[in-house]
Amino acid sequence: MTAQQKLKLRKAVAHAFLVCFLILILVPFVMVVSASLRQGNFAPSQLWPDKVSLDHWKFVLGIPYSEVVNPATGQTRIVKASTPPLRWFWNSIKISIIASAGIICLSGSAAYAFARLRFKFRSPTLSALLILQMFPMVLSLVAYYVILDFTGQYVKWLGLNTQPGLIMIYLGGISNYIWMIKGYFETIPPSMEESARIDGASQFQTFIRILLPISLPIFSVVFILSFISYMSEYPVASVVLQSSDNWTLAVGANSFLYEQEKLWGRFAALAVLSGVPITLAFLLCQKFVIGGLTSGGVKE
Amino acid sequence: MSEGSVDIKNLVKTYTDDRGRPTFTAVKNISLPISDGEFMVLVGPSGCGKSTTLRMIAGLEKITSGTISIGDRVVNELEPKDRGIAMVFQNYALYPHMTLFNNMAFGLQLAKKKKEFISETVGRTAKALGLDQMLERKPQALSGGQRQRVALGRAIVRSPKVFLFDEPLSNLDAKMRVQMRSEISKLHAQLGNTMIYVTHDQVEAMTMGDRICVMRDGLIMQVADPLTLYRQPENLFVAGFIGSPPMNLLKGKVQKRDGGLFFVENGESNTITVPLQGRLEALASKYIDKDIVFGIRPEHLSDEVKDPSHIPITSSVEIAEPMGSESLVYLKAGTGNLIARLHGERLYGLGEPVTIQFNMEKVHLFDTTTENVIR
Repeated sequence: MTAQQKLKLRKAVAHAFLVCFLILILVPFVMVVSASLRQGNFAPSQLWPDKVSLDHWKFVLGIPYSEVVNPATGQTRIVKASTPPLRWFWNSIKISIIASAGIICLSGSAAYAFARLRFKFRSPTLSALLILQMFPMVLSLVAYYVILDFTGQYVKWLGLNTQPGLIMIYLGGISNYIWMIKGYFETIPPSMEESARIDGASQFQTFIRILLPISLPIFSVVFILSFISYMSEYPVASVVLQSSDNWTLAVGANSFLYEQEKLWGRFAALAVLSGVPITLAFLLCQKFVIGGLTSGGVKE
Repeated sequence: MSEGSVDIKNLVKTYTDDRGRPTFTAVKNISLPISDGEFMVLVGPSGCGKSTTLRMIAGLEKITSGTISIGDRVVNELEPKDRGIAMVFQNYALYPHMTLFNNMAFGLQLAKKKKEFISETVGRTAKALGLDQMLERKPQALSGGQRQRVALGRAIVRSPKVFLFDEPLSNLDAKMRVQMRSEISKLHAQLGNTMIYVTHDQVEAMTMGDRICVMRDGLIMQVADPLTLYRQPENLFVAGFIGSPPMNLLKGKVQKRDGGLFFVENGESNTITVPLQGRLEALASKYIDKDIVFGIRPEHLSDEVKDPSHIPITSSVEIAEPMGSESLVYLKAGTGNLIARLHGERLYGLGEPVTIQFNMEKVHLFDTTTENVIR
């Protein structure tokens, strides 16, 4: 075999591998999309339905549509969701954005302290954070329930079955973000902040005016990561939020899957819908996830 | 005391870990008065405590004990911005997300100065530094020399009493370094402010400083003007640190032979033996049969016959570095090399025997135990 043939073969193998990989990723996605466009709520059998129907999308978007109840008599009825799924969608976006913004504030300031200040028990605290985050949030479900039940007795809006309560629980999961941001802060030369200090900036002004602007990339990464994880978080949300008005998308979508009747069509439509804000958030944040923001300030 | 003077008294800096346990003492009880308008250079190898001292003057490091006064105020507990200082960092430390104008104006903006005042001051300073055409650019778009000039400008607009420089030229290329060196010297002449300049480069120290403070291991080895430092080093460290190539320091013993004193170098072969007469004989008389270090600078060795104060010694060439008008010739000696800076446009062959004249008036003798010069 000549060198050129070898190269061709290698390219062919690489392409074959990539195509297989793509199929592996795309097929489930296409199946979900096709399930959302299928008539009825059966589990998918073909990759693409013979007859495209927008009923599930209408349901999800809160548009009433008529459904044939008795094929023999042609009797129909108007179907409309009792709680419009778009409300869950909005709840999810609201909760995810507020929680992610809160996480940036909390983990950013905590990371600054860990990266720049020297205090007692700094490194034990850091290690403790690392170890604690290894336990999944689900393990503390019972504790969350009890805590929220307790706070709800005194502060109504922060108790069980409230969205602020859920956000408060979400804000607790910041230890890995602290580690991430701390790592980034440590790559920023301290002389930049010292210079600001000599210029007369307080520690807080230095943080806001010097460190934050040049840390935009890491904050966008943290924002997008936490946004995605909270858009799709189910276990905690399902325990905290009880009334269907308060549900998030994940909890709401799951409500379509009854033991007796699994409404795959509606579930699929809602799943596809939940991808929209994630994609938008990603495109928006991507602008800031660029290298070289610190370049020019110092000579390494 | 005038307002730009800096007085360091019994300054100590001990670093501690997170729990406050001492780990390392970087500055060990130093005292250094710097007068108003003086250009003081702190020089020494890395880890000698020079940067730590500067950072304590700036207020970036807490003082463990001792006092620092600027003007007639003790500034130990003052914030950096209240000390009347400005600092230029080795890595420029510009704010990468701000334009040059904002980089230079940042301090004035924080001090809530009037807008007209800020733009006037920044504009004037930028013009003086040749930066006025690029005030809207960001640091990324500048060359290393320009960036350091911005850092300089940022220091100037604060109109401080004392300028602090932390190795500001080490990141520049050789040519730029020479240029910026003269610019900083010019700036000192124009402004007349006190300047404290940290460097590890003895050439920078010698060319820029009114006085030079040589440090090692957290201690001051000697403080003097450049020429005194060169002519009268007080100890082995200063003798070896100042001057390029460094002073030849030969280890040996003082011996009495034929009624006279001789310095005899240690070593098996090629040892150098020099008669000690007059001033040196008196100095060496307490060290008969004792260890001693004999120091002479390469430029005080020559191959031309001169007056009787010069003593001829013959050795052979090990390496020669011709540099045009002069050559650095490494001659074989008992414990290493004897470097001679020989004038004249000529090439030296390897192993060639050369007779060089020792200028005995320029010889220093050092005590090996105290490492101090023998007086």
